[in-house]
Amino acid sequence: MTNAVDIRSISRSFGRTRALEDITLSVPDGSICGLFGRNGAGKTTIMSILAGQDRPTSGNAKVFGEHPFENSSTLSKISFVRDNQRYPDDYRLHHVLRIAPRFAPNWSVDVAAELVDGLRIPAKIPIKKFSRGQLSSIAIVMGLASRAPLTLLDEPYLGLDITARALFHDLLLRDYSAHPRTVILSTHLIEESEALFDRVIIIDRGRVRVDCERDEASNLAFTISGPADAVDKLSTNRRVLLTHAAGGLRSATITGEASDELVLQARTLGATISSASLPELVAAYGADAPESTLIKKGARA
Amino acid sequence: MSAVVSTVRLHLNRRAATFIVPLTIAGTVALISVLIALIFWRSGSQPGSEGWIYGSQSNPGIVYALLGFLGYLGVSTVATTFPFALTLGATRRAFVAGTLIWDAMMAAYIAVIFAILTAIEIATNHWFVGFYIFDIYVLGGADMPRLLLIVFLGVLTTLTIGGVFAAGWVRFGALGPQLIAVGVVLALAIAAITLVPQAAAIATAFQLWWLAAASVTVIILAAIGTWLLLRPAIVR
Repeated sequence: MTNAVDIRSISRSFGRTRALEDITLSVPDGSICGLFGRNGAGKTTIMSILAGQDRPTSGNAKVFGEHPFENSSTLSKISFVRDNQRYPDDYRLHHVLRIAPRFAPNWSVDVAAELVDGLRIPAKIPIKKFSRGQLSSIAIVMGLASRAPLTLLDEPYLGLDITARALFHDLLLRDYSAHPRTVILSTHLIEESEALFDRVIIIDRGRVRVDCERDEASNLAFTISGPADAVDKLSTNRRVLLTHAAGGLRSATITGEASDELVLQARTLGATISSASLPELVAAYGADAPESTLIKKGARA
Repeated sequence: MSAVVSTVRLHLNRRAATFIVPLTIAGTVALISVLIALIFWRSGSQPGSEGWIYGSQSNPGIVYALLGFLGYLGVSTVATTFPFALTLGATRRAFVAGTLIWDAMMAAYIAVIFAILTAIEIATNHWFVGFYIFDIYVLGGADMPRLLLIVFLGVLTTLTIGGVFAAGWVRFGALGPQLIAVGVVLALAIAAITLVPQAAAIATAFQLWWLAAASVTVIILAAIGTWLLLRPAIVR
């Protein structure tokens, strides 16, 4: 399978701030990839570089085998509306619907109309007066109706009500089935959108922490829950990403797969072991100073 | 090339700002000029008299009013349209080229509008009552070729200057326009210091085409500056 996106050792600095640190990842053509991480982790910067709106300080980023920066033919295959997108003064909905097809060769009038209607985007109000949810809605219209071979959706759910989110999910899957493309979607509503993804990437502090098939993600970490003493004992010599404590109870998210022996041991001590869910995994990799919760240095589980 | 054409269309997408607002401003200023003329009329001035004609033709109100709007338009075509153009998939190169073409189209459009209105003004003997709105000295005093050139170059200069200031803002934030302004003031000051000793000779030798040449130079410098500032600019 060919890759829609190939990123090799890119770093990006803004002054003294390192937004991306030696990122290497690839996204297969035709996949729907979830890009997760905390605010400021580097998600938008990656998307911005892929969309040719920014350049890495070092390294290479290719889209469909080409560098996107100032590359007209590659840019015509990419759709990227940032979460804080600015629009020209006095723009209203019809301005966007009139001009976007000029730049998007695969633009679907039907998809745009269905979304405008379903998301109830106001036609007469200037876009600069839109609410947060309405701004997200217009970004979704541009993202999905463009049917771009690489569609980058940056926090598309911000401010959207649950009905609108459901419509977005439904239309994305329906239109993707009919017109396959590569989608990279960043969101904090992981649980709600998890079913969409066939691939997940987790980044934190500008570094890739996880890059795998979605099904593999459940094997990357497990959670031990139970009495604090038991959890501490079972966590010994394992790499703990995140811990939670409430009274005498504790839970610890630990990298790797739990062995049968560990599961039995946990049962004996009154603790339970379960695979870490995707939201737990993202939260764990985004936890501050994970090294401070490392229970004794040693080999990974 | 199609990316450049698409960028031109992106600017033309603001149809009201492009086609309607300049007309509205011209109409409003014309109306205000007429009202002022009526005040003078009521205060004893006689339409058609030498003083009336001289005073009316010396009033550049229509130019000032339009320049303010065109300056804003030049800024907004870059400041707010550039981020959206990148989102749509335009290259920086196509955006700068497309914006310059649109600037020229806008300048031609306004020049033609002014020429038509001036022609009507002349044909109606200044709106039947001796009102001078477009037949004014600063626009060439009803000399059509001169009017077309003055309006075209004036509008294009204003739009491109607005564009380069906006590009400075996109590239460096609030510091960008300040740096450009400081640079322009310094350049003008150096030019003045250098040329002041020859001021009398320059004034004697002055030709109108010097202004046209200066205008073309400014347009070229502003367009190059816009490109140099936007080429490495990122949108965040």
